[in-house]
Amino acid sequence: MSLAMQRRRATAGRVWKQFRGSRQGMIGLSVLAIFIMMALAAPLLADVRELSPVYARAAGNPQWAPPGEFPPLGTDFIRRSVWAQFVWGSRVSLFVGLAATVLTILIGSIVGILSGFVGGRTDAILMRVTEWFLVIPFLPLAIVLASILGRSVWNIIFVIGITSWPSTARLVRAQVLTVKQRLFVDRARSLGGGGTHIVGHHILPNVSGLILANATLAVPISILTETTLSFLGLGDPTAASWGKMLEEAFVNGAMTRNAWWYFMPPGLGILAVVLAFTLIGRTLEEIANPRLGGR
Amino acid sequence: MSGSDRLTSEHARRRGRRRLILRKVLGSILTLIFVLVFNFFLFRVVQTDPIGSLFRGRNVPAETLENLRTSFGLDKPIGTQFLFYLKETAQLNLGISYQTRQSVWDEIVVAIPPTVALVGVSAVLSAVIGTLGGVIAAWRRNTWKDQSITSGTMVFYSMPDFWLGMIMLVLFGVVLGWFPVGGMTDAGSNETGLALLLDELYHMFLPALTLTLAYLGEYTLVTRSSLLDVMGEDYLTVARAKGLRDVVVRNRHAVPNALLPVVTLTAINFGFVLSGAIAVETVFSWPGLGKATADAIRGPDLPMLQGLFLLFSAAVIFFNLIADITYSWLDPRVEEI
Amino acid sequence: MKRIVVVLAAAVLAVSMVPIASAQEEGDLVTLRVGLTQDWDGLNPALNFSVPSYDVWNLHYATLTDKAADDFATIPGLAESWVVSDDGLTYTYTLREGLVWSDGEPLTAEDIAWNINTARDQGWDNMISTVQNLDATVIDERTVQITSSVPDPKLPTMDMYLVPKHIWEPIATDYDAATEYEAVDGVGSGPFILENFTKGQSVTMDVNPSYWGWEGEEPPYDRIVFQLFENPDAMVAALQQGELDVIHGFPAGSWDALEADPNIEVVSGLQGGFDQLAINGGALPDGQPHPALLDLEVRKAIFHGIDRAAVIEDLWYGHASEVEAISPSANPIWIPDIPEADSFTYDPDLANQILDDAGYLDTDGDGIREMPDGTNPIIIRHAVNTDGDLAPSIGELMVGWMEAIGIGVELEAYDQDTLYGVTAEGTYDTFFWGWVPFVDPDLMLYYFTAAELGNYNDSNWTDPTYEELYVEQNQELDPERRIEIVHEMLTIFHDAAVYLPMYLGPDLQAYRADTFEGWVKQPADIGPIVFSQTSPSYVLLTPVGGGAAGSDTNWLLWGGIAAGAVVLVGIFLASRRSGTKDERE
Repeated sequence: MSLAMQRRRATAGRVWKQFRGSRQGMIGLSVLAIFIMMALAAPLLADVRELSPVYARAAGNPQWAPPGEFPPLGTDFIRRSVWAQFVWGSRVSLFVGLAATVLTILIGSIVGILSGFVGGRTDAILMRVTEWFLVIPFLPLAIVLASILGRSVWNIIFVIGITSWPSTARLVRAQVLTVKQRLFVDRARSLGGGGTHIVGHHILPNVSGLILANATLAVPISILTETTLSFLGLGDPTAASWGKMLEEAFVNGAMTRNAWWYFMPPGLGILAVVLAFTLIGRTLEEIANPRLGGR
Repeated sequence: MSGSDRLTSEHARRRGRRRLILRKVLGSILTLIFVLVFNFFLFRVVQTDPIGSLFRGRNVPAETLENLRTSFGLDKPIGTQFLFYLKETAQLNLGISYQTRQSVWDEIVVAIPPTVALVGVSAVLSAVIGTLGGVIAAWRRNTWKDQSITSGTMVFYSMPDFWLGMIMLVLFGVVLGWFPVGGMTDAGSNETGLALLLDELYHMFLPALTLTLAYLGEYTLVTRSSLLDVMGEDYLTVARAKGLRDVVVRNRHAVPNALLPVVTLTAINFGFVLSGAIAVETVFSWPGLGKATADAIRGPDLPMLQGLFLLFSAAVIFFNLIADITYSWLDPRVEEI
Repeated sequence: MKRIVVVLAAAVLAVSMVPIASAQEEGDLVTLRVGLTQDWDGLNPALNFSVPSYDVWNLHYATLTDKAADDFATIPGLAESWVVSDDGLTYTYTLREGLVWSDGEPLTAEDIAWNINTARDQGWDNMISTVQNLDATVIDERTVQITSSVPDPKLPTMDMYLVPKHIWEPIATDYDAATEYEAVDGVGSGPFILENFTKGQSVTMDVNPSYWGWEGEEPPYDRIVFQLFENPDAMVAALQQGELDVIHGFPAGSWDALEADPNIEVVSGLQGGFDQLAINGGALPDGQPHPALLDLEVRKAIFHGIDRAAVIEDLWYGHASEVEAISPSANPIWIPDIPEADSFTYDPDLANQILDDAGYLDTDGDGIREMPDGTNPIIIRHAVNTDGDLAPSIGELMVGWMEAIGIGVELEAYDQDTLYGVTAEGTYDTFFWGWVPFVDPDLMLYYFTAAELGNYNDSNWTDPTYEELYVEQNQELDPERRIEIVHEMLTIFHDAAVYLPMYLGPDLQAYRADTFEGWVKQPADIGPIVFSQTSPSYVLLTPVGGGAAGSDTNWLLWGGIAAGAVVLVGIFLASRRSGTKDERE
């Protein structure tokens, strides 16, 4: 085992120890674990065919049944099980949230590292673009793009990724600049390491913690954006996300019927997942930057 | 420090500030131009034939189409087209809405007052209440007060705002029947003057409450952490050591200093006032810019969407500029950033 | 800081409220408030097509002959009488005395002749099937003669909306000019005149005291406001809370709740309206469907895969009724009986069998069938009308139905105006939309002729026999024989498997019994009370107790303000109290 790897392992161990000590961090992690397990175990928890109104009718499901009548969560306006939609919807919502965050972080990190490491004119241009994207109102831009691209899961991921990377880019750039100042980069350079080598061995390990904390805080934004886009009718019509459940509940009269079992579960699901990621993100931030302690 | 020294530094600071403001203004104009270019190309990318789509498949003689293309400058090279677009936009000629076949600008203008009223009121309320909550939380750090305020605002902050609106609507509109479930006035109402204003306020209550609760969290968290920062600084300890009462220290010294980031946040958030309530306006059928956006999505009414997008961007750019300038006035430490 | 914020809040309130308040200034008028969920596509009577537009025209434009509320019988309108020539081709109408447009200009035979001749010459979409064989001549100011070049079973009915010549003549120089005109000039001859039209929001119409039907009496109320609701539930709630007097097209799921309300009467009005699932028949040179859809067997299989009973039970909550052929008229007598054997009964097994036999097999095992040569999987583009309340659910059901027979579905969303363009261009495979026919079946039948390709012929289908029969019925004066011909035409259309009527859908309407009275159904007993063929209710309504009752909810407003104030004071006090506690510490 190389020295670098050992050191990294040690760091990870220290972070985990600190994380375990944080109540909010552990609560967030447990909640998230439950939802991830639910998403992974969806086929065991609910029959995917329950998502089809044609199947639901053939199966003899009642319409608008409250949970008491059709456990565990009742049925919707076209007889589909709300539980099945909730379980399978967690997959779509989590997947979109995570995939969009990966894209966000990827673009943000590349721009940030490039900008901070290369510097000069590249930096100036990239930062100008970043500032532009920071200023453009995020949701309207996402709406315009989604309207143009059409309604599919991949388009939603793309739209969220392309609109939310700038803050990551700024953060990463700042961190890269600090790291660059440090002596060892100079030393590595004098030892003859190429640009890729420096980025791979010195810059990346030092900004990865920050990137991780930032990513955890970016997931809630991605999930909420997906929810809002779906609610506004821009979601994938064939993928039952939590946002789409809320849209269908709203459009098909769940409110006037007070069919709370239809619109409460997806909203609570979003709330729980977003809160979990926020708690984890804040804890990671505190560990990475102890001065923030107790905030 | 001698008098002349002070004058010089004052002078230099003022000059620096003027240069800063000039730079910020130029930066904002540049950003606006970027948005315009972006909008222009978006328009080109989607619409290979903007004139043809104006008629939506209706049989129109080729000659008429050709004339229109010429009058819209679509037969010119792309650079000329862009200049044409700039000229039209500068004259607020944002095109014709597909859905209403009215000028996009006319459609947008009528939707501005309801949105400014709803989101403006909510933004102010949330800023005031949220800041207050943040001050209490920070001052009573790690007590039950802090815990409940912090976790309460975090919960509101973590839910989709429109879902909160749906719950409000069901609870207070459908189940209890205390408030109307949508619109800005009673449908088909003939009211005028004060009665109309009251009717509008009555209709505004639920959406405004929803937005206020949804926005609160940000202010509370920012105020709290900013105040905690300030409280750690030496001069407060000095002030306390001088025997000043706790409340005086808080209100006279700590809070004003801690509010700087809050002021910036408020200014920036005002930029999002216009675009901030798209989904909530939809839930409450509030006839503002947000609902106009949601309606335009269904078409999709691309000219309308792009007009709205331009307006939203311009608002954010403008208020960002205001935020920067305010900040530079309030915090003398800020000079060239 | 606090002070600044308060001042800011006050400023925002003041600035923002003033423009809203002044924008809607209105006097104290007795107003009928109508709620609806479908937008007006436009108000030009020459070519716009949405149902809500028709009610605006019913109120705004008087017609030469009227229709009886009970049975659609042709009764005097602007014409008080008419005589027919011996050969049955020429009708001479005598106008009422002293007719005027709402702007005071006299309404004469010249107006009527100009309308008929111009609509014919320029080919106005909505009038062409009525006037294509007609020629109108002015005899004198009150007499107009209409001659048909062929026997015309529709005469003496002349129900086309008549626009004011003195406004339109300079504008309607050709078809383009006539159809591009917004037609919001506010000059009409009907009982209520267009005052304001805000597309996507509302239509306001003010009473026209010079309308002939008031017969010199004081009209019973002043104004009609049509209010569009994006959200049908909000419309239902507005009626329940007394903000509306009548609503049209409420969701079937709200029926029970509305029926239970003692102040509200519900109406399920039948006037031949139906919704269809249409397949692109491929008659346009461009805008071709998926090649599989050109095969009659595939289209039949698709229709056998569609569960119409599910739609009637689940989306209509049982309020719609089954129908096998389209209904071309408000009168059900024109609907042919389709033999059980030819009906598209829901039978996925049969559908699969048909597709297997025709050679459309799933050769790569992905659950979607390919063309007989093994290429080009059958994935169809289903257009969803985002303005239709049921269309998104139908889209979702469509995915499930087609999945069961090995056909893929891609959903594409359009609003109703765009969907019109999409059907006219043929850039779709299937779509779900609806029609509300007129009394005479001719126009509805005309839509499926070659002449309407690229326009109202939205399934892009033509058939030579159908064309011949269309001309035949168009000139058949024997009512019995005409019905036979129409039945034959509609059977051909049915068997072509391009247009599957999903159900006969009633207009679900509800009105408050405590605000207006005198609602009439057209036709009697079974019809709707508004948005019917001529909507006679509007003229016959009178306010209950002399004035429209409004809801008195202002105390709730004050309650809300008080509650808000209490909360604010509470927060303030709480912060003070913690302050004083600090001092004590």
